[in-house]
Amino acid sequence: MKKKLFSLMAIVLTCAMVLGGCGGAAQSAAPAPAASGAASKSDAKSDVTITYYSMWNETEPQGQTIAQAVDAFKEKTGITVDVNWQGRDIRKTLQPALDAGQDIDLFDEDVERVNGTWGKYLLNVEDLAAKSYDTTNGKPLTDVINKKLVDLARSLGPDGKLSTIPYQPSTFLVMYNKDIFKTAGITAVPKTWEEWLAACAKIKAAGKTPITVDDAYMASLFGYHMARLIGKDKTLAMVTNKKIDDPAVLTFGEQWKEMYDKGYISKNAAGNIYPAGQQEVASGNVAMYLNGTWLPNEIKNSAPADFNWGSFAYPAVGKGGDGPEANQYGAQCFGINKNTKHAEEAFKFIVFMTTGEWDNKLAADSIGVPMANDATWPKQLTDAKAVLDATTTRYPWAVGMENEADINAKIKTNFALLVSGKLDAKGFADAMKK
Amino acid sequence: MKTKNKAMIVIFLAPAVFLYTMVFLYPTIRTVIMSFFKVEGVTDAVSTWKFNGMGNFKTLFNTPLFVSALQNIGLIWLVGGIGVMLVSLLFGVILTSGVHGKSFFRSVIYLPNVISAVAMGTMWINYVYNPDFGLINSTLKGLGFKNAAAQWTGPELVFWSMLIAYCFGMVGYHMLIWMSGIERIPTDFYEAATIEGANVFQRFSKITLPLLKGVCRTNIVLWTVSTMAFFVWSQLFSPVNLSASTVTPMSYMYELVFGASSSAITVRDSGAGAAIGVILTMVVIVVFMFTQLIVRHDDVEL
Repeated sequence: MKKKLFSLMAIVLTCAMVLGGCGGAAQSAAPAPAASGAASKSDAKSDVTITYYSMWNETEPQGQTIAQAVDAFKEKTGITVDVNWQGRDIRKTLQPALDAGQDIDLFDEDVERVNGTWGKYLLNVEDLAAKSYDTTNGKPLTDVINKKLVDLARSLGPDGKLSTIPYQPSTFLVMYNKDIFKTAGITAVPKTWEEWLAACAKIKAAGKTPITVDDAYMASLFGYHMARLIGKDKTLAMVTNKKIDDPAVLTFGEQWKEMYDKGYISKNAAGNIYPAGQQEVASGNVAMYLNGTWLPNEIKNSAPADFNWGSFAYPAVGKGGDGPEANQYGAQCFGINKNTKHAEEAFKFIVFMTTGEWDNKLAADSIGVPMANDATWPKQLTDAKAVLDATTTRYPWAVGMENEADINAKIKTNFALLVSGKLDAKGFADAMKK
Repeated sequence: MKTKNKAMIVIFLAPAVFLYTMVFLYPTIRTVIMSFFKVEGVTDAVSTWKFNGMGNFKTLFNTPLFVSALQNIGLIWLVGGIGVMLVSLLFGVILTSGVHGKSFFRSVIYLPNVISAVAMGTMWINYVYNPDFGLINSTLKGLGFKNAAAQWTGPELVFWSMLIAYCFGMVGYHMLIWMSGIERIPTDFYEAATIEGANVFQRFSKITLPLLKGVCRTNIVLWTVSTMAFFVWSQLFSPVNLSASTVTPMSYMYELVFGASSSAITVRDSGAGAAIGVILTMVVIVVFMFTQLIVRHDDVEL
C-alpha cells in the first residue's frame, strides 16, 4: 500500500514538473508573435538583440529605472537589450565570461575598474562619441555630457583613448543635515579648520553629534585630511613608499584627538561597522559625514522623507595643503566589448541612458547625478554641483590610502584607537610609522 | 575477473570518475601549480603565467596583513576549538544522561547551525553588539553595570566578539557528533560502574572520555576544516575592506584573487591566492596526521 502511494506521488510530481515546463514554454512562445507583429507595423526598426551585463541588481533604483528604459528603448528603436543583472558580483563574473568567449556586447562598472582591470576588452568609442544623436541637438555626444568626467574616462582609457562613457557620477565631500545646522545657528559652511571647529562647538551645544565615521570610510577621512595638510602629491608619495611617516601625521593625530576630547566625533565611531556610520546620520543624531553624493540614496529608506540634505567641500586645514578645489570624483561607466557585432546599437543605448529623458529619470530615481549638462540635479545634491564645478584637482579614491591593504588596515586600527581615547597623538603617529 | 563484469565496472565508474577529475582533481592540481607562478587573473591563459618559484610564499609571509591573518586563524582554531569542544561535550553529556525534553534541547542548540551565517552575523552585529540599543549593553545597563558596557565592535574587542558569535553557532554541530559517540557506548559499562559505586564524574572520566577518543579525533579534524574556511564571519565583521583584527587567510585570498571592493585597487594576484590555498591545505593535512598518531582507532573498547 505504501509502495503504491509512493509511486503515485512520484508520478503526480513528474507530471506537474513536465506540465509546468510545457506551460512555461507555451507562455514564452505566445508574446513572440505579438512582438514581431508590432515590429512589422513600424518601419526601419532594427531587430538586433544586444546582451548587457549590468552591475546593478534588478531591485535597486538604478536597476528598476534601467529595466523601464530598456522597454522604452525597444519601443523606440526595436533593439532588444537582454539585461543580465550581475549585481556587484560582476567584478568576479565578467572577466571569466569574456575569456570564455561569451556573447557580451555591453557592460558597466566603476570607471577605474572598467578601464584598469578590463581595458583589454574595450572598444575604442572616440568615433562613436564624436557623432551626434537625436537627443544631442546636432552636437557630438561628448559636448553635451559632463566634460570633467569624459576627460577622466579618456585619461583612464587604454592608450589614453576614450573607451568608456561615464554615467552616474559621484563626488566625495561632506554631506550634512541642514536642519541641524539651522538649529545650531550656523549660517555659513566652514571653509577652514578653525571655522570647522567653531561649527562643531555650536552643533554640540545644540545637543547633536557633529561628525561620525565607520570602518569603510576611515581611510578616506585620513587621506583627505592629510592632503589638506600637506597636499595631494606628498600624501600619495607616502602610499607609494609604503611609509606613513610624514611629520604632519602627528598634526593629524593632535587635531583628531582634539575632536575626540571635545566630543565632536560620535562615541560609536571607533566600533562602527559599515553601514552603521550612515545610519547615525539617518537617525538625525549626527550632523555631518565625509561621504559621497550617493549617501541620500543609500539611506533613503531609513532617513525621514523630508531630510534636508546639504553638502560642502572638506575645509582647508594646513597652509601646505589643498583647499576646497581638490576633491575626489568618479563615476560608473558603460564599456562596449571590442568583439561585439553590434557596436552602433550598443552605443545608441548608451546615448539613450546618458542624455535626455532617461538620464533625468535615472538621476531622479536614484538621487544621483545626471550626465547631460542641461539636466537638473536632484534637490538633495544642488550644493554638490557647485563643489564639483569648482573642482580643479582630482583626488584618487581615498587619496590612495586604500591602494595597499596593509596601509588601509593600519589606518583602520589606529584611527579607531585614536577616536576612542586609547591612543594619543604621538602614539598614533608612532603606530602609523611602523 | 569475467570480461562482462569488467566492462560493467568501467561503464558505471566512468561518469563518476570523470566528474571527480574535472570538478575536483583538475582544479586542485591547477591551483597547486598556479601557486608557483605569477598569475594575475584566475582565468588567464597558461601562456601568460610567469614562473616565480617560492616567490609567492615569500611575499605572503612578508605581508603584515597575511601574518595577522595567520595569527587570527591560529587563535580561532586553538581558543575557539577548546571552547567549542568543551561546551559541546558538556551539552552532549547532559543530553545523553536522560533529561526530559532531549529532542527539544537538541533542536534548539542545533538551530544556529541551520540559519544562514549572514543572517546570524547581521543579528549579532546589529542587535547583540549594538552600543546603544544592543542586547548586551542594555542588559548590563539594566543590571546597573553601566561601566561594563563597552564597544564590542571596537578595535580591541572585535576579534573576540567575532569569535564568540562564530562559536555560538558551531556548538550545536559538534554536540551532535559527541552525542552520537556517547550513544554508541554500551550501557552495560555504566550499569556495572553504578553498581560498583562510581559517581557521575568517575563514570565520565573513566568510561565516557576514553571511549570517545575516536569521536574526539573526528571532531578535531572537522573543526580544523571548518575553521580554515573561516570567511563569511570575517567578511561580515569588516564588510567593505580588510581589518587586521578580523582578517583570515580565506578572506585575504578572496581579495587577492578577485580584487578589493574598492575600485582603486585593480591589482589582483591569483598566484598568491593559490599559495594561500596550498598553505591552508597543508595545515589541515598536518593536523589530520597529528590526530592519527594520537588516536589509532575508534572502536568502543576500553
